[in-house]
Amino acid sequence: MKKPLLFAFLLAVAQSTPAHAKIAVFACEPEWGALVQELAGDKVTIDVATSALQDVHQIEAKPSLIAKMRRADLVVCTGADLEVGWLPQLIRQSGNGRVGTGLGSFRAADQVVTLDKPQQLDRASGDLHPQGNPHLQMDPRRVLTVANALAARLIKLDPANATVYRQRMVDFNGRWSAAIKRWEAKAVPLKGRKVVVQHISWVYLFTWLGMEQIGALEPRPGVPPTSAHLSSLVDVTKSSNTLAIVRAAYQDPKASLWLSGRTGVPAVALPLSVGGDAQAKDLFGLFDSTIDKLLAAAK
Amino acid sequence: MSPTLNWDGLDISILGPACLAGLIVLSTHVPLGKQVLSRGIIFIDLAIAQIAALGVISAGFFGIDEHGFGVQIAAAIAALLGAGLLAWTDRRWPEFQEPLIGTLFVLAATGALLLLSNNPQGGEHLKDLLVGQILWVSYSQLVPAAILSALLLAFMWWRRGRLSGLLFYALFALAITASVQLVGVYLVFASLIVPALATAGMQGRGRLVVAYAIGALGYASGLVLSAVLDLPSGALIVWTLVACALLAQLWPGVRRSHRAHFTADVAVASDG
Repeated sequence: MKKPLLFAFLLAVAQSTPAHAKIAVFACEPEWGALVQELAGDKVTIDVATSALQDVHQIEAKPSLIAKMRRADLVVCTGADLEVGWLPQLIRQSGNGRVGTGLGSFRAADQVVTLDKPQQLDRASGDLHPQGNPHLQMDPRRVLTVANALAARLIKLDPANATVYRQRMVDFNGRWSAAIKRWEAKAVPLKGRKVVVQHISWVYLFTWLGMEQIGALEPRPGVPPTSAHLSSLVDVTKSSNTLAIVRAAYQDPKASLWLSGRTGVPAVALPLSVGGDAQAKDLFGLFDSTIDKLLAAAK
Repeated sequence: MSPTLNWDGLDISILGPACLAGLIVLSTHVPLGKQVLSRGIIFIDLAIAQIAALGVISAGFFGIDEHGFGVQIAAAIAALLGAGLLAWTDRRWPEFQEPLIGTLFVLAATGALLLLSNNPQGGEHLKDLLVGQILWVSYSQLVPAAILSALLLAFMWWRRGRLSGLLFYALFALAITASVQLVGVYLVFASLIVPALATAGMQGRGRLVVAYAIGALGYASGLVLSAVLDLPSGALIVWTLVACALLAQLWPGVRRSHRAHFTADVAVASDG
């Protein structure tokens, strides 16, 4: 009696779950969550681990993070050691073998050429990323390269929806390429302008727009700058017709306001990721807001 | 705080290792906390943890592998040296022990910053040592911690809790160096002080049992709540530990003993 009952029960369970379960994506940063949203729409579920208003180098451990990692089919992160402080532990703790390596593991930094890659490893040179600077989401051309690789990965993981991913990629490619042209035209007045940064997060943006970084408040993150460094930074900032002192939305404004007060150069907070300010609601808004804010400082 | 309850994280395989880590930390910290409280040196754990971190950063200068066992040895040696120094100052200037501990704490913390200005990568280790995250603990990490705790407990049992200055400081240094890396400095402080404080008026075995119960309930409820409310586990456990300590005061056996303790103190004071 029991066996047929059990069988019927299992059959009912099997029928009640959809034949094709949605792919679950775990994104480390909001910009990659937003990119998956562009490319996959409602064909996947997306969990985003961090917000633009926090420092993604380090995050607080919450049980829900492990639960989200456990159900993930695809983990989309920046890589280049940006999440080295927590992602390996999180993956290990989740026991999810699908996302450690291989198809379920996608790192944006592996898809593009990174900048600031050290020629030789020298421990004294600061927050050293041997794989280059990880903040590559601020170059829209690299974002497009990442998008192509990500779409290909989604197609491999979920071939049943391949046509949807292909269509959405073509659509995104069209809108994004047009937007890049628009941004580049708009940002012409920024070309050649000099900026001081709080943390070296902007090298991709400045390289793309032809801007020049002339100094950093926090050359070694986590280590307070020396007074000699600060005094030379004040001199450089004053004497170079500096456009702005740039920090990310999540960073404490104290240091950039200090320098701004001493030099008269405006301090500007840029979103750095989707959700970093009211305008940066998606990837397009992220660049609209960034360029608008830099242009406002140029006026 | 998220308005919706979150049942995803309520999973024994997620919370299990963290809960076990808490119990291992409690096993040594509850009896040690009793001593810390009676010696009136409650910030010693912060000082020792900071000195252990300083040891790790210094080890970087001698080219010791930063991920291997060498780091643990460096941390333990630094902590033991700090403990030796504190045992000596305790004998030499007992009336200034607490301010001396505070001074040692700021020296170790700022010494780390000075050393780090030449070795920025050490900053990661400093963070790892001081803000261990209870959720990232794995069972394999717990084995050495459990063995060390068992040895320390056996030793304390053998000495019947009578620990002279140097022995106490050495034992304490080893226990703290291990626990800080598992659960972080906030939880170490809370595990040490809160159960001991909540049962300060009780005596003997009863006190130990109640203190252990407060600690275990604090960790378990903190982990469950952090899963349901989707809040950082370590920080929430500190709050549930204190909540459990306060709830324990509703139990007449615990509350009455505080009053007895208080009146006894007053009696002693008026005698003298």
